[in-house]
Amino acid sequence: MSSEHHKPPRQLGGELVIPILAVGFTIYFFSTIWNSPWTAKVSAFMVGGVLLLVCTIFFVRCVFWLNRGEGTLSFGNLFTMDDIRSGRIGLLASTVGYVLFIDRLGFTLTTFLFLAISMMILSKGRNAAFITVISGAMALTGWAVFIWAFDTRFPRGWFETTMKVVLANG
Amino acid sequence: MDSGTASILVEVFFETLGYWYIIIPTIFLGLIVGGIPGFSAANTIIILMPLTLALDLQSGLIFMISLYCAARMGAGIPAILVNIPGTAGAAATPLDGYPMAKQGKGQQALAISFVASCIGGLLTTMLALATMPILARVGFYMHSVEMIVVMLFGISLIASIAAQDMIKGLIAGFLGLMIGSIGTDVVYATPRGTFGFLELYDGVPLIPALVGLFAVSEAFVIIEKRVIVNHDGEPKAPNWHDTLEGVQIALKRWVHIVWTSLIGLVIGVIPGAGASIASFVAYQQSRSFSNTPEKYGTGHPEGLIAPESANNGVTSGTLVPLLVLGIPGGATAAIMLVVMQFHGVSFGPSLFENQPKVGYGMFMAMAISYVFMFLTILPLSRYMSHVTTIPTIYLAPMIISFTLVGGFVPREYMFDMYLALAFGILGYIARRTGYHVAAILIGVILGPLLEKYFLWSLKKSDGDIMVLFSSTLGNILWVAFALSIILPIVFGMRRKRKLEVPAE
Repeated sequence: MSSEHHKPPRQLGGELVIPILAVGFTIYFFSTIWNSPWTAKVSAFMVGGVLLLVCTIFFVRCVFWLNRGEGTLSFGNLFTMDDIRSGRIGLLASTVGYVLFIDRLGFTLTTFLFLAISMMILSKGRNAAFITVISGAMALTGWAVFIWAFDTRFPRGWFETTMKVVLANG
Repeated sequence: MDSGTASILVEVFFETLGYWYIIIPTIFLGLIVGGIPGFSAANTIIILMPLTLALDLQSGLIFMISLYCAARMGAGIPAILVNIPGTAGAAATPLDGYPMAKQGKGQQALAISFVASCIGGLLTTMLALATMPILARVGFYMHSVEMIVVMLFGISLIASIAAQDMIKGLIAGFLGLMIGSIGTDVVYATPRGTFGFLELYDGVPLIPALVGLFAVSEAFVIIEKRVIVNHDGEPKAPNWHDTLEGVQIALKRWVHIVWTSLIGLVIGVIPGAGASIASFVAYQQSRSFSNTPEKYGTGHPEGLIAPESANNGVTSGTLVPLLVLGIPGGATAAIMLVVMQFHGVSFGPSLFENQPKVGYGMFMAMAISYVFMFLTILPLSRYMSHVTTIPTIYLAPMIISFTLVGGFVPREYMFDMYLALAFGILGYIARRTGYHVAAILIGVILGPLLEKYFLWSLKKSDGDIMVLFSSTLGNILWVAFALSIILPIVFGMRRKRKLEVPAE
């Protein structure tokens, strides 16, 4: 029993994010089917109804925990300063950049830049030469396997176009 | 089996064996494409279609079948080592495979998975060959009502996953089902919950969801540690001992392999049902009737065997309706149908009379592929498992870049990469706050299927809900479903009582 008393309070702020998203999405979903034929509604109302019910139960439980001092509304389980120190935020930013630029710069160049930048962020600038070599090797291997050998329609840019011309002209 | 068929089988066996130079390289190709999300066997066969059509019929079929089997097994490798299922069919594999890898038992887990896959695949191939006419009828009896119960078998896995925190598990599962409802409804094509994106009218694409929920979110989580393996589970140098131990663990549970691969075979025979349903159902059944259900999800070998033998059981199952009825049981089987039609092969019972070597040859190619896979891949498990020792500062960016692009491949929409990233963020929040991403994924995969069969049933019966209990087979399945829910509870209570007796 005593160990239960010493348990740190649950960080309910973080735990509430998914249920709040779920409730918001369900209400939006209902709004899109309100005037639809019954075939579009029946299953969604059943599933959404249960989802709203279990979310409500969870909210009630949270209120109960908060009242008893067993929980706080902090987001410590979701975001801490460690996320900046460990490079997680940097990795997220470079991932967003990867997704945004791959269509313009093409698979190979964007992959090289993404790998190099994110590995540098995570390693805090150490082993820069090794990271550059490994990023280049991975990006080139990806190009050789997926684009050159299998002709997969990965996003193409300057590098892929140039290589196509180079290979076509021997 | 008459002597004529036996002699054809022997002849086909030796002929197929002679194609080892196609089978072995294809196995390695299949393992690679199966392991990267987005590159399924079906996609690869489509990409290599000109090559397949240029080959003679037998070589082409052997190539496609080897690729199909190897891709199915390959999907389990990243699922075990880095928590990234290569295809939706391997989505239940990381539930117990990844915890084993984190405990430093990656090599053992791979060996268990390979043995379960190969034995499951081999056994169901033999069974499919022997019972083809009976199995082909299964598809006829499985209508929308029966399929609803099959889906419920899979969906009830959410409750098992949710065992630790029921409310949070149900929130995750029902959120997944809700996300799975995005898109147009199957009867009137009314768009629902699409946020105005045309790309979502066909529903939520599976690969971006899989990539985001498992791969991207995992990459953001693993950077907390230097390597994937836990500190107390540091792997040893490559050795045969762990591989052999894994083989032994799997072989000791041969009944489990047989049972769950049969689930895969039967589900594989049903056109439209697939490996993902089979592996979820097999995992759920395995857990329900286990003596140690509490061990599932913590790195329990049986939790790894069930989905792996089931999804390989599906491979032979999908060939049955294709060959006997000309109805492909899945995407890869549909492509095989195109190639066979190109070569002028006729389907139906006449196939086994007019061109028996083609019909039997496909099953033989499958059986031989599994044998070759066992011999070639098992020794490699000792090296593969070392993926878990690559520093995460290198591994995480590689996972993100190659899987995000994998999300783009099936439909070639940039939107799918954005969607994979969005699912990645959702998956990360879920992992950090104690919601199970597998429960969300089960909902996303099975939700639309359940809704489709549910609506078809209601449409056929003019909205009468009692249609769900209108067929004999359906009612038998309902009883089986109810028993699979109730019996484990009864067994659990009995076990608890037995444990309490000595304490008293």
